[in-house]
Amino acid sequence: MKISEIIEKCQLKKVVFDADHEIRNGYTGDLMSDVMANAQPESIWITIQAHKNSIAVALIKDIKAIIFTNNVSIHQEVIEKAKEEKINLFQSRKDSFTISGEIYSMMEGKTEKD
Amino acid sequence: MKIDFSKEKLTLVNELIYRIKIMETMTKELIYFQKNTTFREIQLKLKEKKISGVPILDTQKNIIGIVSTDDVITAFDKKYIDEDIDKYMTQEVITVPQNFSIVSALQKFEKYSIGRLPVTEFLHSKKIVGIITLSDILKKLLEVTQSIAGKIENEESKNSKISSDFIKNAPKKFFRFEGNGDDFNCAGKVASITKKYFIELGIDKEIVRRIAIICYEAEMNICIHSLGGIITIEIDDENNAIICARDNGPGIPDINLALTPGFTTASEKVRALGFGAGMGLPNIKNFADKFEIRSSLESGTQLKAIINLGVKNENK
Repeated sequence: MKISEIIEKCQLKKVVFDADHEIRNGYTGDLMSDVMANAQPESIWITIQAHKNSIAVALIKDIKAIIFTNNVSIHQEVIEKAKEEKINLFQSRKDSFTISGEIYSMMEGKTEKD
Repeated sequence: MKIDFSKEKLTLVNELIYRIKIMETMTKELIYFQKNTTFREIQLKLKEKKISGVPILDTQKNIIGIVSTDDVITAFDKKYIDEDIDKYMTQEVITVPQNFSIVSALQKFEKYSIGRLPVTEFLHSKKIVGIITLSDILKKLLEVTQSIAGKIENEESKNSKISSDFIKNAPKKFFRFEGNGDDFNCAGKVASITKKYFIELGIDKEIVRRIAIICYEAEMNICIHSLGGIITIEIDDENNAIICARDNGPGIPDINLALTPGFTTASEKVRALGFGAGMGLPNIKNFADKFEIRSSLESGTQLKAIINLGVKNENK
């Protein structure tokens, strides 16, 4: 599924939108080591951890986009770093549970083929 | 047929049955009948197509019943084989939506002891878009596992050709990074530089990711827990990446305890950032092929993680 479809359906605010990647997986979590161990490549990550280290984790795991939920504030240096590393950043007022549920049900209804 | 869900033996299949959707697996060329049909007509069709049941649909392709071989036999027995089916057909039909994973179909096969399921357009819909049988599922699983096996073989041969040359020519210099305790902004640097280096060498992405994770966790440990330290990364003659992290103390009093997932001594401030969840060292251990750690309160902590780069040396 394209990132743009997720932005539209979940009404996300674009913070950094570099490229409209194809997303195959998602992961929700606020513990860096947990995300490191379990997130899949080419995925979207849902978290409240809006700091520079989140960008580093996304880079290492080939996570294509991060959604910061609960309307957490994002520091300018995080945005700069994301631009530099080409990581897409989005923001939402909704909580992680709601966003995860929305994206999960969109993905369930859609497959790579067909 | 009984499906064995044994976790240890069938990890891949277990994963696939959750990942593959019914719509990719089902038969879309549907054989069906409408209600003004006799059992004999159905019996002939079942025989001709060698199938064991057909759905009965209305003009909008909504399901209204199903007739199986059993129903046909009963019709013979009770002598209504030349009558229309609508009085006798099974009307409570079990279906499955096309956007569900094949595991849902497998569970229904087992629960209701049936071998085929009409597939609906979506949940709570009665419109039929296909039919799925156990043999459709087995065929699909075989197809997918074969293509995965093919891909792995391809990548392995590509890897051993391209990257063993690259590695031979690659400068044998090793990286050395110094980190200060409490310097969160630099953390992640070692991992990202190392990752770029190994990607350029042509090493398999999954292996590079493991190396990067180990570097990152080691960096974070130096930041969070130590008074400063260094990380070195080098490639040995057997094409292993060797990651060493050494710090200047204060040392780990009980290593086994530190390796227990969930055990942490991190401060509240660090944990609020999503670190120090007691998963760092267990992560390093899990993602390394070999892992050694030594620590004392006098000399600090030394950690060594070895990862095979998946590259074979050419035959002499």
